[in-house]
Amino acid sequence: MSEQRTIRLTVNGASFEREVEPRRLLADFLREDLGLTGTHIGCEHGVCGACTIILDGDSARSCLTLAVQADGAQVQTVEGLGTVDALHPLQRAFREHHALQCGFCTPGMLMAALDLLRKHPSPTEREIREGLSGNLCRCTGYEHIVRAVRTAAAAGETVGAETETASAAPPREAGAGAQSRGSARE
Amino acid sequence: MKPPPFDYARADSVDEAVSLLAHHRGGAKLLAGGQSLVPMLNFRLLHPALLVDVNRISGLAGIEERNGALRIGALTRHRQIEVSRAVGDHFPVLRTAVRHVAHLAIRNRGTLGGSLAHADPAAELPMMALLLDAKIEISGPNGPRRLEAREFFRSALTTALDDAEMVTGVELPLLPPATGWGFEEVARRAGDFALAAAAATLTLAAGGKVAEARLAIMGAHEFPLRIAAAEARLAGEAPCSGALGAAAKAAREAVEPDDDLHASADLRRHLVEVLARRALESAARRARELAAQVTGGRAP
Amino acid sequence: MTNLRPGLIGARVQRLEDPRLLAGRGCYVDDLRRTGALHVAFCRSDESHARILRIDTSEAARAPGVAAVVTAADLEGACRPLRATSRMPSYQATELPVLAGDKVRYAGEPVAAVLAESRYLAEDAAERVAIDYEPLPAATDPEAALAPDAPRLHEDLASNVIVDREFARGDAEAALAGAAVRVSGCFRMGRKTPAAIENRGYLAEYDEGRRRLTLHSCTQVPGIVRDALAELLDLPGHRLRVVAPDVGGGFGAKVSLYREEVLVSILARRLGRPVKWTSDRREDLMSTTQAFDEVVRAELGVDEDGAILGLRAEIVGDVGAYSVYPWTAAVEPVQVASFLSGPYRVPDYRGRVRAAATPKPPTGAYRGVGRPPAVFAMERLLDMAARRLGMDPRDIRRRNLVRDGEFPYRAPSGLVWDRAAFTGCLERACETIGYDELREMQAAARAEGRRIGIGLASYAELTGVGSRIAVAPGMPINTGTESAAIRIDSTGAVTATFGVSSQGQGIETTLAQVVAEELGARLEDVEIVHGDSAALSHGTGTYASRSAIQAGGAAIVCARSLREKVIEAASHLLESAPADIEVTGGAVSVAGTDRRMSFRELARAVYTEMGRLPREVRERVDLEATGVYDPFWGTTSPATHAALVEVDPETFEVEVLRYVVAEDCGRVINPLIADGQVHGGVAQGIGAALFEEMVHDPSGQLLTASFVDYVVPSAAEIPSMEVEHLETSAENNVGGFRGIGEGGTIGAPAAVANAIADALGVEIEELPATPERLFRLIGPGRRAAGARMETGPGGRGRGNRFTANQTNSGGRSESGSGPTRQSK
Repeated sequence: MSEQRTIRLTVNGASFEREVEPRRLLADFLREDLGLTGTHIGCEHGVCGACTIILDGDSARSCLTLAVQADGAQVQTVEGLGTVDALHPLQRAFREHHALQCGFCTPGMLMAALDLLRKHPSPTEREIREGLSGNLCRCTGYEHIVRAVRTAAAAGETVGAETETASAAPPREAGAGAQSRGSARE
Repeated sequence: MKPPPFDYARADSVDEAVSLLAHHRGGAKLLAGGQSLVPMLNFRLLHPALLVDVNRISGLAGIEERNGALRIGALTRHRQIEVSRAVGDHFPVLRTAVRHVAHLAIRNRGTLGGSLAHADPAAELPMMALLLDAKIEISGPNGPRRLEAREFFRSALTTALDDAEMVTGVELPLLPPATGWGFEEVARRAGDFALAAAAATLTLAAGGKVAEARLAIMGAHEFPLRIAAAEARLAGEAPCSGALGAAAKAAREAVEPDDDLHASADLRRHLVEVLARRALESAARRARELAAQVTGGRAP
Repeated sequence: MTNLRPGLIGARVQRLEDPRLLAGRGCYVDDLRRTGALHVAFCRSDESHARILRIDTSEAARAPGVAAVVTAADLEGACRPLRATSRMPSYQATELPVLAGDKVRYAGEPVAAVLAESRYLAEDAAERVAIDYEPLPAATDPEAALAPDAPRLHEDLASNVIVDREFARGDAEAALAGAAVRVSGCFRMGRKTPAAIENRGYLAEYDEGRRRLTLHSCTQVPGIVRDALAELLDLPGHRLRVVAPDVGGGFGAKVSLYREEVLVSILARRLGRPVKWTSDRREDLMSTTQAFDEVVRAELGVDEDGAILGLRAEIVGDVGAYSVYPWTAAVEPVQVASFLSGPYRVPDYRGRVRAAATPKPPTGAYRGVGRPPAVFAMERLLDMAARRLGMDPRDIRRRNLVRDGEFPYRAPSGLVWDRAAFTGCLERACETIGYDELREMQAAARAEGRRIGIGLASYAELTGVGSRIAVAPGMPINTGTESAAIRIDSTGAVTATFGVSSQGQGIETTLAQVVAEELGARLEDVEIVHGDSAALSHGTGTYASRSAIQAGGAAIVCARSLREKVIEAASHLLESAPADIEVTGGAVSVAGTDRRMSFRELARAVYTEMGRLPREVRERVDLEATGVYDPFWGTTSPATHAALVEVDPETFEVEVLRYVVAEDCGRVINPLIADGQVHGGVAQGIGAALFEEMVHDPSGQLLTASFVDYVVPSAAEIPSMEVEHLETSAENNVGGFRGIGEGGTIGAPAAVANAIADALGVEIEELPATPERLFRLIGPGRRAAGARMETGPGGRGRGNRFTANQTNSGGRSESGSGPTRQSK
């Protein structure tokens, strides 16, 4: 066994300090150490996307990230998006269009869609499909997910507003953030 | 599928990373984006004693133009390459290729240096390094050295790096004006590793003959390949369909694919020829358009 | 049934379960935390067929955090043998051990279980278990496994033939002999896995004080699991509770009782600590039931007008190593034979089906169960016959579909189709996709060298199968009925409890719609309880497209009897004749007056306010009702799928450009959910047609042990879909519903295959239609046609990145002898 490390990080706006083994996956850290079980684990090799979170402003696989790597980072999980009584506009669009069935891929799908819309605020259908191609859903056939993301994009300001609230979680490197926004013009 | 135990060290400098690697003599692995390494750990295909995290080394990421070349730091994320204006201006073929790398969440994390050092035979960035005559900057216990991309890739998942060396960046010499490009890939799904892919650049001289052609393929050989025979076949020729087709055939003959789960060697050879031809055709078309812009509107 | 009064049934209601799932507040088995829980990691066989010579767990037992290492020897006498029984005459039952004992029968079979303080530590220790095997000869090809001298997988059986059955009507041979055109093929879909995104997971906990065992399971069938475990562990139902919380997709993968469920239950009781196992994806791909692995050799004869004269088939199912409980290994191959004739008039038929035990993971139910391979074969044969006759594929279907005046129609296997929109679906699908215009467009595109194809597939399935035709004969379970209990409690809240359970079907919404409408409650006041064996005396679960029919039916009969009680109480309280009492919107009122009581007021009057009801009414009228519903027969659900594809003739990539489904699910409860069921089914069918394939090498090693190699399609590969619902009344069940959950997967493989065949002018007999297969059919690779592609690990491309030598989730072992490799 290897030595435990102390990490400090911000998750959904709250600060945490915890001891972790270096090998602990960020997904397990969020689920087991912080009790944030909204982030799901589906494959642990980066294909299914169920564990997608926002790490320092960009979507990332929490099954391919070690918790020690998130030391000092800003993490956003599905629990930081909206609540049962006050869903985020993207979550509302998912509900309106029946874009989830079993709900297992949904948190990862939402976080991937959030990053996609921040980087491509007005995506075409093809861009939505390719932008979400790293997230497998076995229930919906994607049809309603695509419609929900299109609706959320059309409502534009909703996701833009999220970008502002997410400014609590700025990218670590300012340059990266500037480039991300630059990509939105493409 | 949980990683086996290992120690972890965060390096603050290249020298520190290299000395940690040297100290552990093959028992240490570098952790950059982790998008290939961590799955292998989760499958317990690797049991490293130590991971050396290079993500906090300052100055290791970034893209800058200098001395007629674009230098890209090893820690530059795929996503940064994808959205870089300089990359888009100078190497649209690289930007196109990097968009084929996996998915947004992977590209947000994966790094150039990591992709080159991992040397997956069906990964885009090693092929692009080869196509673009990258100089690969390496640091090790004996100081820095530079290798041509064509000296770097040795076989599947094997490079010229020693146990204690790391990639610190690449330098891509800018292409001459009137250079067209093409990139073609076949994969089972969007973002999957390619069954095969081809990338080409084609520079036209005045008069419409090929000044320089480059053709690289991947997914159909132990490592990405430049197709010298194809390039030689095109040099000095008009890029007509016959010449491009002959060059594509040369690519087919140069590769030595294996059968695997998703494609037979025969299919891969066939795809190499088709994709090489399509990439060269795109490159030739774009080169003619660029030349036409330079000469005032008429395609040569 | 047309909905005369606009109500909740038929409304596009947003799902009630969504807010918690969207906000990350769902609760799946792996989300459950228990203090002191032990986590299981299995050592799984890396041999397909071998004798276990020695298992050395000593080093693993000493590893940090390890509480126990368990092998078959430790489980002797811990439970009764698990055997799926059947009354089918030729059926041979196999015993499914909780852990492999003397022998392993597929790579991936669990041999030892390590219990440790965390999954990390359990996996560390599993790497230290040493298992020595003596490999045994194995027949991995199903047809070879049928041979009398094939190596036998189960020594106690007479052969590897698990079942041998024939369906026949008339004289198929004579009919074929007299046919103007005969077409035939050998059709294979390749082995698939349901691949729910939630891997299987179980958590068992034992309350020593009350001697009560609770199993939290991602099962689709908590009732079946409870009843089976009660037998195996000899526990009464009130000391054994099986709960399925939120479940992340099932698709049939979670309808069988798994040995891991039995194991965690035994060990939680034995150790007095919660025991949890969450499958990882690699384990899922090698241990969850697989499907669609039949070889269908079939021949169809038609007359010069395309009318079907006869059909015959020899079907061999590659069912894997064990019969799954309770369905048996016969469940899928037998349905291939019984459904093969499809929605058509087939006068003469003979279909023989044999199930071959092979050293591969067991097969079980997967969305469509047997019908995807059957429909693939039949729909291909019809197109092949049409091509030979120069007939349009739509016309040959028009010629042969059972027509409106011909219902009920008895299919040659004995299935009976009730009246449903067989021809209506065909016409609507063609109309929606613009069939005639597409044929013109196709001709124009072909002139430009583009390869565009249009594919149709029509089918009928039997859903909501009642007690008259049990899903398989002689199973120890009752699949025909479902029960419900509805109560209005003393606060006026409505709770409706069902034996079915949800893996995403939205039954918390659809059943609430049914209950609210039938009872006269408000939707928001109805809470649906499901997935808990302790909540009802009997229930089974959700499978076989039955929840709308069985549970929806139970909801109706139960709500109606509760409504009678509400009316009786209200007639006393409102001093009015029962006939004048109206129950709507969560309130009772007297017609034509302003006398009105909310459910809350009514409940208070009934339960709390003494003296408001006469004693005899108070004793009779509790605001509770239970009900059981048995549709007795099944209900027919037909559909036609239409696909438009383009094939790149140089790279052999297939793109699905458009996809239309016209289906008849009877009365639609919630169009949003009905559409979603079809979309999801179609996506899995497209996966089966183009991408997904479980590949075992000739020695039985699984080569597709990751999501890199088992290719589940993403949004980028799946087209936009259009769904049309034809709502033919299903008069044979109280709700007028027809099942909808599986149809998408039944029709799509055939429709896509027919479209590719149409685009390329070749016959497609094997799926998935990968670039490799098409290369061998039409490309320069056709030289090598006939030779199956050499597959193997260690290629240079992207395949097998995570497969080689990694069958084991731990317990690296070497055949025969030799030291165990340690973790470095």
